[in-house]
Amino acid sequence: MLNALWIVLLGMAIVFAVLGILLLLVVLLGKLPRPKEKEKR
Amino acid sequence: MTAGESLGFLNLTWQAVVMLAIGFVLVWLGIARKVEPVLLVPIGFGCVLANIPLGGVSEAGGFLAVLREAGIRTEIFPLLIFIGIGAMIDFEPFLQRPYTILLGAAAQFGIFGTFFLAYLLGDGWLHVLDFSLHDAASIGIIGSADGPTSIYVATILQSKYAAAVVVAAYSYMALVPIIQPPIIKALCSKEERAVKMSSVAGTIPRRTKILFPLITTLVVGLLAPKATPLVGSLMFGNLLRESGVVERLSLAAQNELANIVTILLGITVGGMMAGTEFLRPETILVFILGIVAFSLDTVAGVLLGKLMYVLSGGKVNPMIGACGISAFPMSARVVQKLGLEANPHNHLLMHAAGANTAGQIASVVAGGAILMLVPMFS
Repeated sequence: MLNALWIVLLGMAIVFAVLGILLLLVVLLGKLPRPKEKEKR
Repeated sequence: MTAGESLGFLNLTWQAVVMLAIGFVLVWLGIARKVEPVLLVPIGFGCVLANIPLGGVSEAGGFLAVLREAGIRTEIFPLLIFIGIGAMIDFEPFLQRPYTILLGAAAQFGIFGTFFLAYLLGDGWLHVLDFSLHDAASIGIIGSADGPTSIYVATILQSKYAAAVVVAAYSYMALVPIIQPPIIKALCSKEERAVKMSSVAGTIPRRTKILFPLITTLVVGLLAPKATPLVGSLMFGNLLRESGVVERLSLAAQNELANIVTILLGITVGGMMAGTEFLRPETILVFILGIVAFSLDTVAGVLLGKLMYVLSGGKVNPMIGACGISAFPMSARVVQKLGLEANPHNHLLMHAAGANTAGQIASVVAGGAILMLVPMFS
């Protein structure tokens, strides 16, 4: 049972850690100077 | 050869009759009620085929058994589907509101909470059901609200309930408009539901949209390597979409690839619903725990949404937390509808879509975490 509890705690910790880092990088990506967009999509 | 050996109806069992009825109901729901027809019609028909006595389609060498071996046991179908899904998803609503990824993270609690509950009922403590640690984790993954992730994880963990898990995951995605609203209404007051969120000015530069799938693959892959196949295929599809230079490939992923694999996956999943394996008390419990998983997802997401509501001084509508589950776009539509009910001028769709697409990434990470942790602790 303790094993399962560890899986729950570590699992949520991994999810928040990975997504927290991703959030940080996405925020940093948004801070980069905006390129002059001349592309035609 | 006697008549009993060659006529199907002489070999009908009660399990086969029940499953044939379930198969027809799924087909009926898809066609007459238009409930997720893209999924339910192939799944329902596969179920009918698998339960025709002496038909042999799901037995060794039968065509559904061959598809199962080739596409599900090898985990190829869910990964190919993910390429198509990645090519279909526009992550702009999320990139405009990156904080919504935390709602996606919170909403994965349904996976872990349900896993714990299933293990508690099974080998963990009560022993009332035949749920091993691997089975419990596979049941928990229904809470990813994501068919391909559910198939992928349940197959790798070799759960004996893989078929039920997959059917539950797909069925409940269709039932999100029924499962989520009562929970959201119970947790959010009308005043909270009516909160209008300001729109985000400006668009996301193309450079950011191209870098996002590359960065996400790298970050998730390096930190949760077991999620690499899932996140890699999802983000590969998204790169095809956003690169702007391979439109033909992007369209093929969104249409031909996704459609062909959906047909094959749907009928194969239906083919896994053979009565003798499917009609067990544990299977019914898997379905009940599936609802628990979706409910816990919603509760956890909304609770974090409420925290954001408080911390932002009432600028975040807590309902968007419910979209942290990756049932895209059903969940976003539910929140948009509830927002309009509370305030006819309240358009939450893009905010909800941000959380919903973030939830797609979060569910993949949670799947990777499960695949990493379960073997470590078993």
